[in-house]
Amino acid sequence: MSRSGRWAGLLPGAAGTGHDGDDGSEPDPRFTFANERTFLAWSRTALALVVAGLGIVQLLPPFPGVPVGRHLLGVPLIVLGAVLAVVAYSEWVRNQRALRHGDPLPKSVMPWILAATIAGMAVISAVILLISAVR
Amino acid sequence: MTPAPPPPPEPGRPSGGSQPGPDPEERDPGLARERTSLAWTRTAIAFAALGGVVLKANVVTGLIILAIAPLVWQLGRVPARGGSPGASLAAVSAARLRLITVSIVAVSLLSLLVAVLGRSVPGALR
Repeated sequence: MSRSGRWAGLLPGAAGTGHDGDDGSEPDPRFTFANERTFLAWSRTALALVVAGLGIVQLLPPFPGVPVGRHLLGVPLIVLGAVLAVVAYSEWVRNQRALRHGDPLPKSVMPWILAATIAGMAVISAVILLISAVR
Repeated sequence: MTPAPPPPPEPGRPSGGSQPGPDPEERDPGLARERTSLAWTRTAIAFAALGGVVLKANVVTGLIILAIAPLVWQLGRVPARGGSPGASLAAVSAARLRLITVSIVAVSLLSLLVAVLGRSVPGALR
């Protein structure tokens, strides 16, 4: 699982055109559809993160004593949304390739990314709330 | 009272193969197609929701994102018209999934600009 291998599918024409250089056999259409739904579900997760980040920055009242608090919470969420969308596409390409070759599906890193981010945001939220409560 | 004999193993189910079985989906892969098209609809709604939130901060940007939603919805209808799940299925998917990825990245960049530069409504949820 080298870095170049993970991102190779993002290059236009490199893969994902259905006949990505290495031939396999066309998988069961249901598997292709399921892979696509998984990608779409992660896309909605990414969009929800962007909505959450924007809502924090735009709609919350400012934290007393922490003027940049809302941006500290919102901007990473929005950036993570963009990252998640790109990773979701690269994993769709990898899964599709594995399906064509009948290989076991590669492990997904996205649950790890999401869990780490949510934990990190929880820590930042707690720190900001504590600081604004003390002041 | 003798215990009932165990039910016969369902043919085709455990192997997960593509031979027809009692599972309605194995007789009609159209269900997978329909579930996928519903997933596209949900994604389009998610775009519209984001557009609604942005609308509160910046009207023009919000309208742009809202306009993406029907396009995504249309994108999800392509395979229903295309018909045959042939060799082109994954190719069609790759093209439109790449399009979705690009739109989400673009939309999050727009949101970032609105979030950082835009005037926030102070205490809109107060």
